[in-house]
Amino acid sequence: MDVMDVMDAIPADGLSFAMPLLIMAIGGIYCERGGVLMLALEGLQGFGAFTGALSVVLCLPLLGAGSPCLVYIAMAGAMIGGMSFSLLHALLCVRFKAQQVISGMVINTLAMALTTFLTSVVNEALTSQVSNRFQIGASERFTLPILSRIPIFGGFFRNMYPFELVILAVAFVSWHVLYKTRFGLRLRACGENPHSLDAAGGNVGRTRVIAIMICGALAGLGGIFVAYSVSANFSPSIYMGYGYMAIAAMIFGNWKISPTFAVCMFFGLTKSAGYQICLWLGMTSNYTDLLLVIPYVVTLVLLVFFSKRNQPPRALGDPFDKGKR
Amino acid sequence: MRTGISETLLRWLCGDRTSSAAVPICVALLSTLVSSAALLALGHDPVTAMAAFLRGSGLMPKPSYAGGQSMLTDFMSYLGILAPMMLASLSVIFCLKAGMFNIGVSGQMLAAGFLATALVGYAKLPSGAARPLVVLIGAAVGGLMGAAVGYLKYLFNIHEVVSCIMINHITSYVTGFFIDTRYVDVITRSSRACSASSRLTIAGVRMGGVRAAIPLGILIAITAVFVVRFLMERTTAGFGIKIVGLNRDAARYAGVPVGRSYVFAMSIGGALAGLAGVTYYLGYYNSIVPKALPSLGYDAIAVALLGNLSPPAAVFSSMLVTIFQKGGVYMSSVTGAPREIASVVIALLLLFSACGAYIRERARSALGKRGGG
Amino acid sequence: MASSEYIVEFRGVTKKFPGITANDDISIGIRRGEIFALLGENGAGKSTLMSMLYGMYEPDAGDIFIRGERVALSSPSAATALGIGMVHQHFRLVPSYTIAENIVLGMEPVKKAAELFPYVDIGAASKRIRDLSKTYGLEVDPALRIEQVGVSTQQRVEILKMLYRDAEILIFDEPTSVLTPREIEFLMDVMRGLRESGRTIVLITHKLEEIKSIADRVAVLRRGKLAAILPASASAQEMADLTVGRPVSLSPSSSSLRARFRDVVLQVENLSVRGENGLDAVKGVSFSIRGGEIFAIAGVSGNGQIELADAIAGLVPPCGGRILLNGRNVTSDGVGRRTEAGVSYIPEDRQRYGLVLDFTVAENLAIKKYRRAPYSKSGILNRSAFRTEAEAMIARYDIRASGGAGTIARFMSGGNQQKTIIARELSTDSSLMIFVQPTRGLDVGAIENIHRRMLGERDKGRAILLVSLELDEVMGLADTIGVLYGGRLLKIFPADRTTVGEVGEYMMGAAS
Repeated sequence: MDVMDVMDAIPADGLSFAMPLLIMAIGGIYCERGGVLMLALEGLQGFGAFTGALSVVLCLPLLGAGSPCLVYIAMAGAMIGGMSFSLLHALLCVRFKAQQVISGMVINTLAMALTTFLTSVVNEALTSQVSNRFQIGASERFTLPILSRIPIFGGFFRNMYPFELVILAVAFVSWHVLYKTRFGLRLRACGENPHSLDAAGGNVGRTRVIAIMICGALAGLGGIFVAYSVSANFSPSIYMGYGYMAIAAMIFGNWKISPTFAVCMFFGLTKSAGYQICLWLGMTSNYTDLLLVIPYVVTLVLLVFFSKRNQPPRALGDPFDKGKR
Repeated sequence: MRTGISETLLRWLCGDRTSSAAVPICVALLSTLVSSAALLALGHDPVTAMAAFLRGSGLMPKPSYAGGQSMLTDFMSYLGILAPMMLASLSVIFCLKAGMFNIGVSGQMLAAGFLATALVGYAKLPSGAARPLVVLIGAAVGGLMGAAVGYLKYLFNIHEVVSCIMINHITSYVTGFFIDTRYVDVITRSSRACSASSRLTIAGVRMGGVRAAIPLGILIAITAVFVVRFLMERTTAGFGIKIVGLNRDAARYAGVPVGRSYVFAMSIGGALAGLAGVTYYLGYYNSIVPKALPSLGYDAIAVALLGNLSPPAAVFSSMLVTIFQKGGVYMSSVTGAPREIASVVIALLLLFSACGAYIRERARSALGKRGGG
Repeated sequence: MASSEYIVEFRGVTKKFPGITANDDISIGIRRGEIFALLGENGAGKSTLMSMLYGMYEPDAGDIFIRGERVALSSPSAATALGIGMVHQHFRLVPSYTIAENIVLGMEPVKKAAELFPYVDIGAASKRIRDLSKTYGLEVDPALRIEQVGVSTQQRVEILKMLYRDAEILIFDEPTSVLTPREIEFLMDVMRGLRESGRTIVLITHKLEEIKSIADRVAVLRRGKLAAILPASASAQEMADLTVGRPVSLSPSSSSLRARFRDVVLQVENLSVRGENGLDAVKGVSFSIRGGEIFAIAGVSGNGQIELADAIAGLVPPCGGRILLNGRNVTSDGVGRRTEAGVSYIPEDRQRYGLVLDFTVAENLAIKKYRRAPYSKSGILNRSAFRTEAEAMIARYDIRASGGAGTIARFMSGGNQQKTIIARELSTDSSLMIFVQPTRGLDVGAIENIHRRMLGERDKGRAILLVSLELDEVMGLADTIGVLYGGRLLKIFPADRTTVGEVGEYMMGAAS
């Protein structure tokens, strides 16, 4: 294997791992900046991936396998699915004032159970075969024309999945929304001191519900991107801890978008670098596994230096109660 | 008369003494109803299905058994998987009492199970030495891993959720590497079976003409319930942990050593998870699938929350959840309904229990309106 | 038909909370352009009544009329739309936001960048805020963050927030409780200016002198009921009697005994403490307290009092200097060891520090001493000792709890919560007692009780450090007064050789 291939593969694979993580973490930032704990990313991304894949499977006979519309249908399906499922979190946390940790675990458990169950039911109905996966294939990769020729960094722009650009756009827009717009100002006030927004005439409950829904939609997108690229299908194996990794990235990133972006890139690049170096050295897959430990160990070591000043949103986890002062 | 009955019901739901029992019962009934409706919609008989869950767990007799098996065989097997579930949920409960969310139960289980397997499982020790050693290694390994998480929070302010997740992944890859390179069984792709003398299950015991495996883990689990309750209610360390968990600022003000309480709670929680690991991998199962974190570690969070974070209640919630998990296969084979419906039922249980406080509040306000009008 | 004589009118307004009727059939009319005061003890229902005017609660019975029309005030935004604004006692500000962001929150001016991306136009908002602050003499820098500015500036931000919304009816809830005498004067001037600009002001207060100096009329509330509406020219004695419901003496309580000082108990040498923001909150403070002495720290909130008290109690490590207790250096000891060495601490924020709200009274009474007999022996708790100890303390300190020792602290009144803390702290045999704002938010009866106990402990020979923002309390109780300003101890006076005016000057940092 050529060194150049390795240098190319590291950023390409790194991005395909880091970007879904980033979009889920951004979803988490919306929710937790609004003061609602979000442990449900794992469940929301799975449910989004499910509804996305389901819409592809249902539309496939109508449009044919090669149709370019399928990607958009998958994305729309995933966003709607993730968003609707997140409403359950909103109902429990905002309306019922349930414990937010419990609510998060409810979403995770329910998403995993429902999607696995429904996949087998739908498969039986459509193909009368017993299977717990939807085959949807992987989206095409492409290379950006000019940027890809930049030395060293060019590798980031070769063999990209289209969704990676979508996620970068989402990250930019989210930064603008959170820090520059009226909604962002109110949302962060909900997470710092909800009484201030309430006294200023804003609606804390509604703002939080919108934040949770955005989070659901983004997590759903993250899920379908994983399903549509690396794994090329939807199956229960989509629940492999991506959502929890995204939570870790969000906390490590101190609930801010740019540091979280850096953390996700770091996860992705160290992971793919370890993998590619193993391939290059011709090591057996066993040793590859061992090298895959590196990102997690390095993260722990870095946290030792970076955690002291970590400051979660002040009102995180508090159900807002007007009467209390 | 009707108002009389509904008023009794409401009082029962929100009374100080009764509500802690009434609300969970109400939750269990609600989720049974909803899942029965789902089963009906799919064209299966809910009564048969519910009975099948119980039959599969050895709590009701099946119509027929294979040679040498009986209800007792199923029941013992049920107890075998109930033990790690109880221990794991106790771990979650104990840590949450100190305000620590132990999402690392899976990793602690895997590490404890792996080291006990590697150190004792293949050594030729008599059972009298091997079994206590397995338990000891389980508790020690889990306890050390938990303590590490506690120290990271104490010394460096690292959020326990993040460090637990990182450690889970590290554990999964590292143990996977050693299993694949040293202990693999080439046919099953899992680790080789441990020696019978080191297992926490006495296999193939004849009892009244049938064969059953006696799970020793359940004894550990029951002991643990009492130990945890004692630690929490009757010791100064437990009292300190509760202060830290309920109000960290007040704990600092009162001179409770907050950092040390984190470490202590996480070590005990980790030790419980480690015990769950050895009763899981060397008790119920007999080998380890490499690179797979046991999902039981996450289910235990749900079970703990379902039991409202009380150790005795966690016994019941473990039993309930385990019935659906254990009986799922039999239910599926009898009714033809997909196996996954079992996890849907469990998820519904958790969903309704999350609404428990809301149910109580509604009952109270309904009663209040009635009293006022 | 509503009479248009009043801009705000309450008619038969009743509001109940579980277990208490906060407002009982109250009818009040407030005229346009007047300063109308609401007087009453804590818990008399003043804040509840005004919270209904501001749309935070809805009345259970009765109606509210604004400018002669019956209105449904279902939310603060509904009240804002009707030109009503409120400065809450606990400010409703986001600490990490700038002053401008806090003011526009809820009323953000939005522009579009490139005709596409909407954003909040902070620049335009800041300009308007500067104009407003010039007009009304409320100087602020819109770009500073709330956590960077002091309490009096935060209050100005709250006032600007109302003016930014063009509020015509302005409600002030106990606005002077966090200010120095001179800042109070300044606020009174601002309020007079607002009245001249045609605005109507409702002032919630429990201080008679404020009413005398600024209000036009006053309504006295007692236990949720309207006791009377008087012109502000009525005598202070009449107002005080109506407030309490019986004739009261207006002169402050004082000790029966003259203080007899003993040996030095606490010695603080050149103490420096770092605050949460990383800057030095206490800078090289030195003083000492003798047994039988009440040493009061006067000062405006946020000048290092809390940090000083925390450092002496052992909650935060000092970054310089020494603390000696009965001659022993305890600087490096933690809270636990200082408690053993004889330090009691009644913290300012009772619910956050002093109590575990979900614990019972008995457990709360034990949280400092549970590791010792009789509460425990070699690590094992003795639950029956919890109960017997608690029952004794409940009787001795007159703690009213519906379920006795088993009552959950969350369900007790503020006064009884404070009594629980004081019982716990006084029942240890401490040589030093630190009281921080011990009477904040309590009613007259409870305040009297606490002052009596404090004097009693002093007469027993204990050293008492009192931190209070209420100058009356400081003047009434202290034997020695130290004024803390900007983290420095500017001056130490014997209490009988100074005046309110002089202490007030030092509180402003004037004499430095």
